[in-house]
Amino acid sequence: MSAVLGPERPQVVSHVQQALSYTVFDCKWVPRSARLMCLGSAARGTGVIQVYELHGARLEVLREIEKPKPIKCGTFGATSLQQRYLATGDFDGNLNIWNLEAPEIPVYSVKGHKEIINSIDGVGGLGIGEGAPEIVTGSRDGTVKVWDPRQNDTPVANMEPVQGESKRDCWTVAFGNAYNQEERVVCAGYDNGDIKLFDLKTMSLRWETNIKNGVCSVEFDRKDINMNKLVATSLEGKFHVFDMRTQHPTKGFASVSEKAQKSTIWQVRHLPQNRDIFMTSGGSGSLHLWKYEYPAQRSKKDSEGSEMGMAGSLSLLQNVTLSTQPISSLDWSPDKKGLCVCGAFDQTVRVLIVTKLNKI
Amino acid sequence: MPVWLREHSWRQSLSAVYLSLPLRGARATAANIFCSEQYLKVSIPPFLFEAVLYAPIDDTNSTAKIGNGNISFTLYKKEPAMWDSLTLANADKEKLQHLRENAVLKAQEKAKEETEAKKITKQENKKYALEATMKVEEAERKRIEDLKEKERQKVTKELELWKNQQKDGDKYKSIQAKEELYQEKEPLKERKNEKIKKPQIPNEGSSKTRLRSTRGHGSCSIFSQDLKEEQLPAPRAAATIKVNFTPRVFPTALRESRVAEEEEWLHKQAEARRIINSDLSELEDLKEEEKNPDWLKDKGNKMFAMGDYLGAVNAYNLAVRLNNKLPLLYLNRAACHLKLRNLHKAIEDSSKALELLTPPVPDNENARLKAHVRRGTAFCQLELYTEGLQDYEAALKIDPKNKIIEKDAEKIRQLIQGTMQSS
Repeated sequence: MSAVLGPERPQVVSHVQQALSYTVFDCKWVPRSARLMCLGSAARGTGVIQVYELHGARLEVLREIEKPKPIKCGTFGATSLQQRYLATGDFDGNLNIWNLEAPEIPVYSVKGHKEIINSIDGVGGLGIGEGAPEIVTGSRDGTVKVWDPRQNDTPVANMEPVQGESKRDCWTVAFGNAYNQEERVVCAGYDNGDIKLFDLKTMSLRWETNIKNGVCSVEFDRKDINMNKLVATSLEGKFHVFDMRTQHPTKGFASVSEKAQKSTIWQVRHLPQNRDIFMTSGGSGSLHLWKYEYPAQRSKKDSEGSEMGMAGSLSLLQNVTLSTQPISSLDWSPDKKGLCVCGAFDQTVRVLIVTKLNKI
Repeated sequence: MPVWLREHSWRQSLSAVYLSLPLRGARATAANIFCSEQYLKVSIPPFLFEAVLYAPIDDTNSTAKIGNGNISFTLYKKEPAMWDSLTLANADKEKLQHLRENAVLKAQEKAKEETEAKKITKQENKKYALEATMKVEEAERKRIEDLKEKERQKVTKELELWKNQQKDGDKYKSIQAKEELYQEKEPLKERKNEKIKKPQIPNEGSSKTRLRSTRGHGSCSIFSQDLKEEQLPAPRAAATIKVNFTPRVFPTALRESRVAEEEEWLHKQAEARRIINSDLSELEDLKEEEKNPDWLKDKGNKMFAMGDYLGAVNAYNLAVRLNNKLPLLYLNRAACHLKLRNLHKAIEDSSKALELLTPPVPDNENARLKAHVRRGTAFCQLELYTEGLQDYEAALKIDPKNKIIEKDAEKIRQLIQGTMQSS
C-alpha cells in the first residue's frame, strides 16, 4: 500500500454538525443545490424526511415531512433535474416517489415488498446516462425488484428466490453498466455473503460470487459507463474491489480485498468527480478515503487462452474518526468536489469537506 | 608532627589583607585550604599553616590563588581597619582550640546552608525548564490549530462562493422559466380563445390546454419536454429472474469470525439427531423399559452374575447405542470381554471408560480403579507385561492399601525381570 506524502494528503474537515431528533438512515444531496435531505425514523415510529440548506456554518431546516411509516432509504437517481423527485423505501416495503414541494400525496406509490426495503437505487435521471429512468429496491424478503415510474403496480424486473428456497435478506442494490438505452445491470448483495449481478437486457444472472461475509454495500464506480469497477463492502471490516471489465468464464471478475477496520463497513461511495477515489464508512464511526490504482495490465490470457482480469492495488489516503456510533450513510455532492454529508447512528448528520482532492 | 609553614608574608589595605604563603614545593588544591571568619588553615601533609586572624573577615568573598609555588590570599576585612598584625597575639592553647572548633562548626553550617540553597535553586530551575517546555508545546499545538482553522475558513469561503453561484444559477433558471412560461401563456391564451370560438370541440380543446398548462408549469418549455419523452424508451417488458442462494442454515448474516462456532453447533446437532434417529428407526419393536440404558445395565449385570457373558455384552451394546456417555457401561462390558477372553476389546472398553472418567476425582475412584485393573489384566494376558504393570501401578496409586493389587503387581514385576534375564 503506497502512502501519499504527509502535507499533501487530503484532509477531512468537519464543516457542520447537526443534531437530529430522529434516527437518520439515509442522507443525500439534492442535486444542483446546496441542499441536503435526511430521512429516517422518529421515536414514535413514524417516518421523517427533512430538507436542510447549508448557510455558512450551519444547516437550516427548509422542510420537515412526516410519514406514517419509518423510511429506510432514498434516492434522487431516477428523476429529471427539473423535477428532483425523491424515491423512498420504507420499513413496510412501500416504494414512494415524492415531490418535495408538494409532499402530501406521492407521485408514485406501490407496495413493492412484503418486508422492509433495505436499499434503493435509481438510474436514468439527473441528466446522467441514457435510457428509461428506473428504480431498483432490495428487501428483506429476499427479492430485488426494478420499477419504472411510468408503470404502476408491477415491477419491470423481479429477482426472487426459486420456489421452495429459503430467502436471504438483500441488504444492498446498485445499478451499473447503463451506457446506452438497452444495457443495464443490477448488482445485489445479500446477508449470506452472496453478490449477484443481474443483466436486465438479457434478463438473466450474469455473475455471482460469495465473499464469506454479509454484504453491506455495493456500488459501481459510475452507473452510466461500461462497467469498470465494483466495490462491495461487508461485515468484519472487509471490502472487495472487483475489476468488471474482463469476465472470465469460470473465475468471474478479478478482485482485490482490503481489511480496513475491525467493524462493519456500512457504506462505500465513489467520488462523482474521480471514479478511482472512494470513501468507506465504518461501524466504529470512522471514514476511510481510498484510491485505487490500476495494474500495469488490466487483463491477461490464462492457460486456456481466455481473458482474465487483473486487479490493481489500493492505497489509503486518509482516515478520520468522527463518531462513536456507526456512520450508516454517506453521500458526495455531485456539484462541489470534496463536499460530502454523512449520517450516523448518534443522531447527527455531518457535512464534511475533503480538501486537496485535486492533487490526487 | 606537621611541618609548620612560617615564611609567609603579608600586607594590608584598609579593606583587605593580602597574604602570600610559599609552599616549598608542595602541591596545593582547593581542598587543602580551610577558611572561616576568623581562622585560616592550609594543610598539605606534612605541611601545615594556620592563622587565627586579628579581626573577622568576609570569608565568602575572600579568594585564594594557587600558583607559582605559593598561595596568595586576598582576604576582605569585615570592618575596614588597619590590623596591627596578621594573627592574634596572646592566643593561648585553649582559646586557639575553641576558635578552631568554632571555625569548623561554622564551616559545617555554611556548607549545609550552601547545599540547601543549591537544592532550592535546582528545583526552581527544574520548574522553569518544565514551564518552558510547556510553553513550547502550547505554541506548537496552537500552530497546528491555526493551520486547521485557516484550512476550515478557506474551505468555508469556497463553499459560500459556490453556493452563491448555485443561487444565481437557480435564480437565472427561474427567471428564464418564468419568461418562457409567460411566452407560452400568450399563445395558449390565443389558442383558448380560438377554441372557444369553435364550440364543436370544446372538450378536446380545454383538456389540451389544461394538459399543456400543467406540463409547462413546473418546467422550462413544453416542446423540449415532449422531445425528451419521445427519446425515453418504453418501460421494459416485465420478467422474472429466479435466484438461488448459497445455502445457509442460520437466519443471521454470515460472518467469518463465527463460522467455526456455527460448524461446531451444527455438528453437535447432527450427532444428537443421529442418535435419536437410530433409536427410532431400528428399535421400534422394543419394550419401553428396554429403551432405558440404566435398565439395560442392570440386566447386563444380572446376566454377568449368572455367567451369561454374551448376553451381558449384548445388553451393554444396546445401552451404549442409546447413551454412549455412561462410563459404567464400558467398564462392565470390559469385564465381560475379559471373561470371554476378548482381550483387545476389553482393553478398548476400559480405555473408553477411563476417558469418560476424565476428571480424576475421589467420586470415581472406584470405577477408575476397576478400569485400570481390568486393563492391566488384559495386557498381562496378552503378555504385554510392561503396559500391564503401568496399569497396576496406576491402580495402586489410586488405592495404595489394596493388597491384592500389590501382590499382582509384584508378580508382574517378577515376570518381567524373569523374561529380561532369560532374554
